[in-house]
Amino acid sequence: MTGGEPSLQQDIRALYIDHHGWLCNFLRKKLGNSFDAADLAHDTFIRVLAGYRQASIPMLREPRAYLTTVATRLLINHFERKSLERAYEESLRLLPETLAPSVEERAILLETLHELDALLDALPPKARTAFLLSQLEGLTYEEIAVQLQISTRTVTRYMAQGFTQCLHHMLAQAN
Amino acid sequence: MPAPHAGTSQLKASAAELPNQAQLVDEAVKWLVLMNSGHFNDVDAKRCAQWRSQSTEHQRIWESVEKLNQQLGSIPSEVGMPVLNRRRTQQNRRTLLKAVGAAVVVPGTVWVGYRAVPWQTLGAEYKTGAGERRDLTLADGSQLNINTSSAVDVAFNSVQRVILQRAGEILVQTATDNKPGGSRPFIVKTEQGSMQALGTRFIVRTHPQSTTLTVLEGAVRIRPARTQETRIVKADEQMEFSDKAFGRNMPMSPGAGQWVRGVLYAQEMRLADFIAELARYRPGILRCEPSVANIPVSGAFQLKDTDRILEALEKTLPVSVHTRTRYWVVIAGR
Repeated sequence: MTGGEPSLQQDIRALYIDHHGWLCNFLRKKLGNSFDAADLAHDTFIRVLAGYRQASIPMLREPRAYLTTVATRLLINHFERKSLERAYEESLRLLPETLAPSVEERAILLETLHELDALLDALPPKARTAFLLSQLEGLTYEEIAVQLQISTRTVTRYMAQGFTQCLHHMLAQAN
Repeated sequence: MPAPHAGTSQLKASAAELPNQAQLVDEAVKWLVLMNSGHFNDVDAKRCAQWRSQSTEHQRIWESVEKLNQQLGSIPSEVGMPVLNRRRTQQNRRTLLKAVGAAVVVPGTVWVGYRAVPWQTLGAEYKTGAGERRDLTLADGSQLNINTSSAVDVAFNSVQRVILQRAGEILVQTATDNKPGGSRPFIVKTEQGSMQALGTRFIVRTHPQSTTLTVLEGAVRIRPARTQETRIVKADEQMEFSDKAFGRNMPMSPGAGQWVRGVLYAQEMRLADFIAELARYRPGILRCEPSVANIPVSGAFQLKDTDRILEALEKTLPVSVHTRTRYWVVIAGR
């Protein structure tokens, strides 16, 4: 009987040889440059390999559909990061000069924003807005209720949702 | 081979059901929601501080709370609102994640179960809330000072004198054992290991993953829970250790044990570290913005009135203290 690992490696190698070129092409069309496309293609294979290792999912009959799903997810992440960075640059431009952070502070700020963004990612937009109004603007639940035209009870629920989401995410990362 | 917690079984046999991580997160979230509501009062603050000091697992969850607060507090709202509240490129991302999630297990988000620490289920005999301190004389004449947000069980029997320290910080001054027929060993146990007094005065402080021992007089032998190795720490030295490894032997930090006199002592301490220390003595959230984190702080501060310490900081350092509520204070640049 052959062990799981060698056959897994053969499967992955076959997957790579058969579909890597096609995947790069697919990503280049979406991204408009082959540099990022090669990076994301690489990440896609890493994810797929990790997925197989952890869950020992048998090879799929339609590997391209599967690769597309994984790659699309990475693409969304990529676009989301870019959109965050654009919004960040824009917000810095609008900041009064006295508040402008140093180069070092900017790097830390951006890193923290990426981390928080990942924590808040799965929150519905309204819950996220309520959560940020409380945590960044310091508004009371009553003020948030008026601004978003929802009940204070709903604000309370959104806050709980926000904190729960963040803590679970952080603890899972720490583990 | 892990070293057994000798004597534990003699102390109490019943192991109550431990709350799991998800349950603890729910409880922490309830505190957070209340804390931010503007309806958080003294009684709530006290109960919240007690909740935090129940076990190292509670402490660990609360550390994430503090990290989250620190991160949120470090973002100016002029930047945070437009960036974090921007329209997402894909609003229905969760549906998509679910679809992919069925096929791929993403490393790093795998749920890890709660590690059970049996002796944490023992009821602490002595607890202190934030800002509280207790001084006790034990049955054998030893002195026990318990610092803020701490929980300990005192468990003496015919063969040994054991203190189970579940959270916080204590100072012990051992007495010569007055029991006829020889002296019983005096041992302090934390989640990470045990420390045996060799005629002495010492301080034990717990952190979520480690314990710090500071020896003021005499010597103490450390035995981490998961090794057979031991180390002896002598007077004027301190050492941090985990359940399987020793840190470096360091000279005692200046002002160690001053809390027994109600004093927080700082010598060229980073403001961020100082604020983290001060936060142990105050209910609620105390934050320090990164822009002022490295300002050095020196002095001896009276812990009985932490509001006055904050006022003093504002007077002597280029910082301003923003009190959103009594339990939500942010130290920022001027």
